[in-house]
Amino acid sequence: MATMQVEVVSPEQALFAGEATEVYARSMDGEIGILPGHQPALLLLDVAPLKVKADDGQEHVFAVHSGFLEFSDNRLTVLADVAEPVGEIDVARAQAARQRAEEALRGDAEDAAARTALARATLRTTIAGA
Amino acid sequence: MPGAGEIRVLRRRIRSVKSTQKITRSFELIAASRIGKARQAVEAARPYASGITRVIRNLATEGEVAAHPLLAPHDSVERVGMVVITSDRGLAGAYNTNLLRRAERLAKEERDAGREVAIYAVGRKAEVYFRYRNVTPEQTWTGITDRPRYADAAEVGATVIGDYRDRRIDRVWLVYTDFRSALAQVSTAARILPVDVEEFAGGEGFPAQFMFEPAPADILDQLIPRYVEHQFYAGMLESAASEHASRQRAMKAATDNAGDVIEDLTREANRARQAAITTEISEIVGGAEALSGHS
Repeated sequence: MATMQVEVVSPEQALFAGEATEVYARSMDGEIGILPGHQPALLLLDVAPLKVKADDGQEHVFAVHSGFLEFSDNRLTVLADVAEPVGEIDVARAQAARQRAEEALRGDAEDAAARTALARATLRTTIAGA
Repeated sequence: MPGAGEIRVLRRRIRSVKSTQKITRSFELIAASRIGKARQAVEAARPYASGITRVIRNLATEGEVAAHPLLAPHDSVERVGMVVITSDRGLAGAYNTNLLRRAERLAKEERDAGREVAIYAVGRKAEVYFRYRNVTPEQTWTGITDRPRYADAAEVGATVIGDYRDRRIDRVWLVYTDFRSALAQVSTAARILPVDVEEFAGGEGFPAQFMFEPAPADILDQLIPRYVEHQFYAGMLESAASEHASRQRAMKAATDNAGDVIEDLTREANRARQAAITTEISEIVGGAEALSGHS
C-alpha cells in the first residue's frame, strides 16, 4: 500500500510524524482528502478537524485552528496555528467557551472574536464527541 | 559573664542563616527541574520554525516577496521598537542586569543615530526598570516569561506587527537571552522587522502543476506574520531556559555561601562557649584557692 510521510506541527510542538495512507482536512475552499501521489499543493486550513490515517490503520484526529498544509514530494506537512489531539481536548472548558461565545453573539452578532471563539469551541466539542 | 550573651547572638544568627539556606536550596532545586522542561520546549518549537521557513522560501520564488510590508524597509527610520524580555522575579543572578544593559546599549546606539526608541516590556523586571527611569513602555506583558505559551508570544508579536504596519515604528529589535549551554547564556539583540530578505533566499520553488488555495501572495500574507510571531516565541523560550539556568546557578552559589557562613559562625560559637567555660573554671579554681589560702 502506498504511503506518504506526514508531519503535523503546531508552533509549540510536533504532534505527529510518520507514514500515513490518507489525510483529510478542510481548506478555506472546502473539504480535501489527500492520498499518496496527490498533486502537490499548498493550502490555507480552516478551523476544522484533521484526520490522519496512519499506515498501521490507526486514525489520528486533531482539532486544527487555522494553519497551512503543504504536500510535495510525497511529504505532507501541516503547520497549524493551534492543534490538539482529540484525547487532549478539555471538553468541559470547550463547552463553557461555547456558551460564552454564544452569549456574546446574542449581544452583538457581528463580534468577530466571539465568532472565532464559537468556531473553535464547536470544533473541539464536535470531534471530542460531546 | 559576657560569654553567654555572645553565644546566644551567634546561635540566633546560625539559625537565621540556616533558614535562608533552606529557601535558596529549594529555589535552586525548582530552577534545576525547570531548565530541562524549558530546553525541551525550545527543541519542540524547532520543527514549526524550520517548516514555515521552508514553505516561505519556496513561495518566495513564486513572486516578489521583498515587497511584502513586513520585509520592505520603511523609507525613513525614525522610531525604533525594542521588545525587551526579562523575568518577572529576581534571584536570578545577573540575568536581568545583563539583559537590560544590552537593551540600554542598543537604545543608546539608536538614540545617538537620532531615532526615537519605543519599549515593549515583557516581564516585570523590564517594566519596573524602564518606569523607574521615566520611560513609559508602549505596552507591558507580565506573567508570561516563566513558562511561555505560544498564544502569549503571538499576542506580543501581533501588537508589534500592528504598530509596524501602521508605521508607528519603523524597525523592531528583540532583546532576549540566548541559551547557548547550561553555563553560557548570552544577552542578544536580533532585528525582527523588517524581516531580512536573505532569510528566505535559496528556495527551490514549486513545480508548475502546484495547487494553491488561495493564491500564493495571499498565503504568503498569512505565513509571514506567523513566522515573525514564532520568532518572538522562540526568543521567549530561549530566555525562559536562560532565566532558570541563571537562577539555578545564583541559588547554588547562595546555598554554598550560606554553608560557609554557618561553618564560620559555628566555629565562633564553639570558641565563645569554650572561652566561657574556661573563664568559669578559672573563677572556681581561683575562688577555691582563695578559700583554702584562708584556712
